[in-house]
Amino acid sequence: MSELKRILHVEDDPSIQAVAKVALEAVGGFQVLSCASGQEALDQVQGFAPDFILLDVMMPGMDGPQTLEKLRELVDIGEVPVAFMTAKVQPGEVAHYRSLGALDVIVKPFDPMQLAEQIRQIWSQRHG
Amino acid sequence: MDKQDNTIPQTLQQHLRQLGQQFSERLRQELPELAQQGERLLQSSEGQRQQLLPALRDQLHRLAGTAGTFGFTQLGQQARELEQQAERWLDQQQRQQQDLETFVAALQQLGAESDGGSSQSEQQRTGRPVVRTEGDTRLIYILEDEIAVGENMRLTLSNFGYRAEHFRTTSDLDAALQQQLPDALIVDVNLADEDCSGLDYAASLQQRLEVPLPLLVLTHQHDFATQLQAVRAGALGFFAKPVDIPQLESRLERCFAQQSGEPYRVLIVDDDRDLASRYSLVLRDAGMLVEILQDPAQIFDHLRDFNPEVVLLDVNMPYCTGPELAQIIHCNDDWLRIPIIYLSAETDIAKQMNALIKAGDDFVTKPISDNALVAAVFSRAQRARLLSDALSRDSLTGLLKHGDIKEQVAIELERALRTGDRASVVMLDIDHFKRVNDEHGHAAGDNVIRALANLLRQRLRRVDSLGRYGGEEFLAVLPDCTPQQAKQIIDEIRERFAELRFIADGGEFSCTLSAGVAGTDVHSQAEQLRERADKALYAAKHGGRNQVRVAASQEHGD
Repeated sequence: MSELKRILHVEDDPSIQAVAKVALEAVGGFQVLSCASGQEALDQVQGFAPDFILLDVMMPGMDGPQTLEKLRELVDIGEVPVAFMTAKVQPGEVAHYRSLGALDVIVKPFDPMQLAEQIRQIWSQRHG
Repeated sequence: MDKQDNTIPQTLQQHLRQLGQQFSERLRQELPELAQQGERLLQSSEGQRQQLLPALRDQLHRLAGTAGTFGFTQLGQQARELEQQAERWLDQQQRQQQDLETFVAALQQLGAESDGGSSQSEQQRTGRPVVRTEGDTRLIYILEDEIAVGENMRLTLSNFGYRAEHFRTTSDLDAALQQQLPDALIVDVNLADEDCSGLDYAASLQQRLEVPLPLLVLTHQHDFATQLQAVRAGALGFFAKPVDIPQLESRLERCFAQQSGEPYRVLIVDDDRDLASRYSLVLRDAGMLVEILQDPAQIFDHLRDFNPEVVLLDVNMPYCTGPELAQIIHCNDDWLRIPIIYLSAETDIAKQMNALIKAGDDFVTKPISDNALVAAVFSRAQRARLLSDALSRDSLTGLLKHGDIKEQVAIELERALRTGDRASVVMLDIDHFKRVNDEHGHAAGDNVIRALANLLRQRLRRVDSLGRYGGEEFLAVLPDCTPQQAKQIIDEIRERFAELRFIADGGEFSCTLSAGVAGTDVHSQAEQLRERADKALYAAKHGGRNQVRVAASQEHGD
């Protein structure tokens, strides 16, 4: 079983991108690659070889679910666990995202001090 | 001690705060844009609205997610509600004009509230206070029904680096107290429109609190009854109107210094080891630092190394009695001021008096209760510290005076040479200070000096020493700190100082500072080091001011 070290974060909002990077690197001790769009993520994901992918749902151009679909087609990336991040969580929505293949959904706003722990928990759900 | 405070500039909290600040700057741009979009929505045709709404919804959606992450909880929630409203409209494809107007009004309110700040954390993050000193900024609440007086006080205290809030009525203050407790409270006794006096209000507030707040009282009445009532409500200061705000600020500063002051140092001289240990335990429990000396002959070594603020002396010791030792101590000019308390089983008043006449300040009779011992030592130590501060500190800034800071530089340098650590010396000078005095008056000039002193005090570590070297010149010594680190720290202070807005009769103005830094070398001497810092300061002045220069490291054999 691999260890959780490298996280790919796909998020178009620069403020959230920056705060998540700090939260995951400084608090969680992870290595983070931030991408501003689904396309950028697709270009870089194989080089980075992440252990975990965090995807914003609503992005201009390719949105989170579309990005996930494309990621799944890539060699070596198809099995990497993915969580969505979104500000909108209505009943049934989490189930919908799970049906798309995401492990879980992280709700915005999030507490930067807790984010790393949240991801660890999602990770352990899968590996536990 | 907490050496790392400034030497690691980017802690996680700082980093997050910085990102929060960037975000709040972004808000200042984005919120007016949202308001404009709302305006456009109102003026558009139904068809255009259907085009405009999705973009607006997406933007609100994003705001709902980000704002809360950076602590703007309320803003985030409001954005979310508006987003949901927009979503509903898009589904139904029909809107009431009236609803639309409410929606746009709320959208525009979004901007306004964020400017004004709607919670303490938001105010902090949007940087509304004049000085952005972050985290450790002291929060002061002012209850004053006269708007001009209250606002003036708020602005001046902000200049000094406090976060001050002014409230006109007790109900406004109550609301704020529910949100957050301040570090100190300033209350006007005479409130024209209230049922109770400011003091009644403060007294009942203090009773509700677990730990009473430091309280300063403003009044027109100087009578004894009012003063008594004020003290009973926990007042630490009493100021007649019109209030001299710098004086009030210096009292505030003293309240906080006492709160966070270092523990009192007590030296016990007693040949009875068990008894001495027992006293030591009691005093340590009360938060004091204690050393025990059994051999009176070593008294001066211990005085010098430990630098106690109170000495407890056993009266009956072999070969040297307590009063004899007290006389020896007081024969030395350096220790003339130190309070001496005798510990003795002696209950004969005449003998006690005899001892006190020779030297010494108080008599504590054995067996002594723990509380009595703590009280006796505490009160002496407190007075001794106040007195020694008053004598060695500059009255305007509360910093060390010329001679004392120079001495401190020598001490730190010696320590640095002994431990092999690097230390840095900084000379700091306010640019064009004469101009401030000429244009705005000496009171304004004093404000500037004091504000810089406060800023330095807040930004430097506790291990750093800081003194007022001359009129507008400051000298600091930073142990365990390279010149490059020192430059970074002072540069940050320089930027903050330049941001300060001072208020004077002639309107607002701001000042800058220049500084020179010199680091220790293998063969540094205190005076040389200070001169090198001074030369670097001179270079900073000639290089155009508002900058920090580091002295070139000394040539060998220089």
